[in-house]
Amino acid sequence: MKKRRFWYLFGDIIGLFIAFIIFIVPFIFMLVNSLKERKDANLLSISWPDALRWENFIEVFQANDYQIVTAFKNSFILVIGSVILLIITGSMCGYIIQRRSDKVTGVVNALIMTGLMVPAAILPTIWVLQRIYLYKTITGMILIEVALNLPFTIMLYRGFMNSIPLELEEAGYIDGCSRWKLYSKIIFPLLKPVTSTVIVIKAVTVFNDFTNPLYFLPGSENATVQLTLYNFMGQFESSYNLLFADVILITIPMLILFIFFNKRIVDGMVAGAVKG
Amino acid sequence: MKKRVMAAFLSVLMITGLIAGCGSKENGKTEGKGEESKELSLLVDTTNAANEGFMAIVDLAEKELGMKINVETRPTSTEGDNVVKTRLASGDMADLCVYNSGALLNSLNPSEYFIDLSEQGFMERVDDSYKQAVSVDNAVYGIPFATSRGEAVLYNKEMYEKYNLEIPKTWEEFLSNCEVLKEAGETAVLGSFADSWTAQIVFLGDAYNLMTAVSDFPEKFDAGEMKWATTPEGLRSFEKLEDTTPYYNEDYLSMTYDEGCDVMVNGGAGHWFIMSNALSAMYSLYEDMDMVNNLGMFAIPGDDASVNGITMWYPVAIYGNKNSENQDAILEFMEFYISEAALDAYCEATLPDGPFCVKDYEIPVESYAAVADIQSYIDAGNYEPALEYISQVKGADCPAICQELASGQTTAAEAAQKYDEDCAKAATQLGLEW
Amino acid sequence: MNRRRIYSNWFMVPAMAIFTVFFLIPTVISLFFSLTVWNFDSFTFCGLDNFKTFFSDESLYSSIINTMIYAILTCVLKLVLAFFLAVFLTSKIKTKNFLRSVVFFPNLISTVAVGITFSALMHPTKGLINQVITTFGGTSVDWLGNTDIALYSVILTDVWKGVGVATVIFIAGMQSIDKTFYEAAAIDGASAWQRLKAITVPLSRPAMNSVIILSFIGGLRTFDLIWAMTGGGPGYATEVMASTVYKQYAAGYYGLSTAGNVIMFALIALMAFPLQKFLLSKEVD
Repeated sequence: MKKRRFWYLFGDIIGLFIAFIIFIVPFIFMLVNSLKERKDANLLSISWPDALRWENFIEVFQANDYQIVTAFKNSFILVIGSVILLIITGSMCGYIIQRRSDKVTGVVNALIMTGLMVPAAILPTIWVLQRIYLYKTITGMILIEVALNLPFTIMLYRGFMNSIPLELEEAGYIDGCSRWKLYSKIIFPLLKPVTSTVIVIKAVTVFNDFTNPLYFLPGSENATVQLTLYNFMGQFESSYNLLFADVILITIPMLILFIFFNKRIVDGMVAGAVKG
Repeated sequence: MKKRVMAAFLSVLMITGLIAGCGSKENGKTEGKGEESKELSLLVDTTNAANEGFMAIVDLAEKELGMKINVETRPTSTEGDNVVKTRLASGDMADLCVYNSGALLNSLNPSEYFIDLSEQGFMERVDDSYKQAVSVDNAVYGIPFATSRGEAVLYNKEMYEKYNLEIPKTWEEFLSNCEVLKEAGETAVLGSFADSWTAQIVFLGDAYNLMTAVSDFPEKFDAGEMKWATTPEGLRSFEKLEDTTPYYNEDYLSMTYDEGCDVMVNGGAGHWFIMSNALSAMYSLYEDMDMVNNLGMFAIPGDDASVNGITMWYPVAIYGNKNSENQDAILEFMEFYISEAALDAYCEATLPDGPFCVKDYEIPVESYAAVADIQSYIDAGNYEPALEYISQVKGADCPAICQELASGQTTAAEAAQKYDEDCAKAATQLGLEW
Repeated sequence: MNRRRIYSNWFMVPAMAIFTVFFLIPTVISLFFSLTVWNFDSFTFCGLDNFKTFFSDESLYSSIINTMIYAILTCVLKLVLAFFLAVFLTSKIKTKNFLRSVVFFPNLISTVAVGITFSALMHPTKGLINQVITTFGGTSVDWLGNTDIALYSVILTDVWKGVGVATVIFIAGMQSIDKTFYEAAAIDGASAWQRLKAITVPLSRPAMNSVIILSFIGGLRTFDLIWAMTGGGPGYATEVMASTVYKQYAAGYYGLSTAGNVIMFALIALMAFPLQKFLLSKEVD
């Protein structure tokens, strides 16, 4: 028994060491360079800065007329709107697909698989958005994000539904629950673990999405945080300190979200997420 | 039952709509304003937006014309192209748009989107050859955004002195200079190919030599009668790029343009094939005139010592949105932009990298030494605009093809072949019969 | 009980409505335009010319090969690494919660940011990776500039960023394995390795399938990271299908670009559907 404990301790140490080298060093690298002077940062070394220049972060905030503030607001609205819609529509759809398998759900399932494979067509999508007056609006952008992220969300919900026994619904049905109540009062609460997973994974995806907002939500007043990074790349190409400061600033929100939901992510990822 | 589901769904839509509403309220500000408020939006890429001369003119225009200019930035290169084309296609262009002049303008289908300026009085001031670069089918669309630039070789005077080199008159001499520098352990030619557009300069900057040898190349090329791969003088431009391969710095495929500026101004390399606006970028790094004046510029040499001329790269242009409601304000701004006062303000904010494409405008300050080198070519009449300002067709993949060639993955003949195929795609898109 | 009565198809309507309007319809429209020379507002029908142009282009083939290498390697590496990471992180080590977070962490950073950071780390002269290598007496490597290596450098970065999600899927799968299996095996005197082979591997099969499908399709569609790190270069050394299509789009060849999209979809579907079928058939056994 003692021997085993030794091995676990050994594992701890090795694990921490490797994690440090592979996963933590890049972050330290970004952090120290974001606090250096331009010239020092351009040497790209991982040495500790001579003096901590927190002003870099302020400079990033002030760039382009405080664009980053608008960008954060836009990104938050986008993420919150998309994730709420994804949860509601995705869970309803995944629930039905898993529970009844007939021709209709088969077709729906196949369509969803194509969603995983086909890249979005940009101009036709803009064409559609304009017809329904949603181009250049955050509402339109939210709906696009929902459409593009639905396949994976539905898969997760469908996979998780496998683990929910039928008995509860049968009992509810016999008690005379309506279909809507059955779903909203019995099923949806049981889906909590997978919902947490969806929140983290999809919030991160939408928040980090760069290309779609670039096309479907143009205009500097509509900028999202990833776009600020891109603007900085043109402006500050030779100023790695500001670039890294921006990277860190726009990673923080997702980091906070992750810390909140960290323990729950695993619970929702029940095996067989892509069961056909 | 069904109703309830739909009701729930709709209410969610409404909630998100409400949330989104808060965000999009401000959008209204820039749209649908009447002319009396004189507010203009201007879409420019981040690199050009960083031009202090441009910002100085904008500031002055706001003061003098009482306008508000909202400068919107977009990414550079491929993403930027995408943004411009997508926004034009969707009818969502800003009032003013900064975009390439020359062949790339063609691909935007300008008659649909941009104001024809040929009747405007202020266009008299613009150089005729620049006008040609912003014209499609007799309509003129743009005004010059900044100064023109030499597309040639920056060289390190100190190194030239140290190793007793002379400015090469032929390509052979140039290569032997490189050989000397290489043997001495110096970086003979600086490569900054992480920004792939810089890989094209050897090829594009050779246009003067091509044009003096085969003056009807652009016409015949547009007509599909001549090809790069089968025209020896055209193929020669690719061969020159191939010749440079052994002389680059070790990290030439990973170095960016900005890093290149830093290396060059610090005397870290003998030559750099680049455009002269790099001078301003270098100056802004250290604000030290002597460091920048250690660099001179010479044209890409040909094979005949008696033919020596420089290829000029014309500035990007400002175009007016034809479908905007602010026509008058747009024209007013354009007229002002190339006025004497505006150009003076430009020169005060940043030193010009070459002559403006405006007639009779004398640059009021003394600029970098390399700019004087360019000027002497121009004064002697030994210059040609780059090919893309004469020919209609420019392949979109030119940077990658040149990058591939310069990194030794292909031969000059293969690259020329590839570029011909690339141009064929562009020609198809333009509806030319090849 | 009557399944149809409890599980109304209406529940799928909201999802499918959004999916149809904002994804399916534009996709179908783009199918049509792949047969045209298309600028913004006018098009001329050109039959299958776009497809011919694409297939006569050498760079298409090299980009398909690069895409395959990319998809297969990222998929295999993620699968193997994530499996062992998951085994390690479901064992009784003390720091497992911390380490789980650390492994998932890279996933939180945007691709563009990862691209910037790793391009800096992989810089041939100044980059940290080469500095470490040369300190230990090795020769420095031009990670992104060397045309033979660049693709693999991007692949490694992709694995760094994506292994976290795969690990989480595996952990979820392993946690649902009944503990009594292991206890029984331990009593029978099976070694750790035998238990891994006889219990963990077969019982985490569904998780494994998810990882394979998701990372394989993800690899075939890859674009962002390549674009952020190399832009498809040097030359065409790291060009993949999605970046080829993207470049055509940027050049304004909309018809050609949509044709490329169609080809890409066909290739992905041709590989992904059979793969999924195959994996599921294994699962049932």
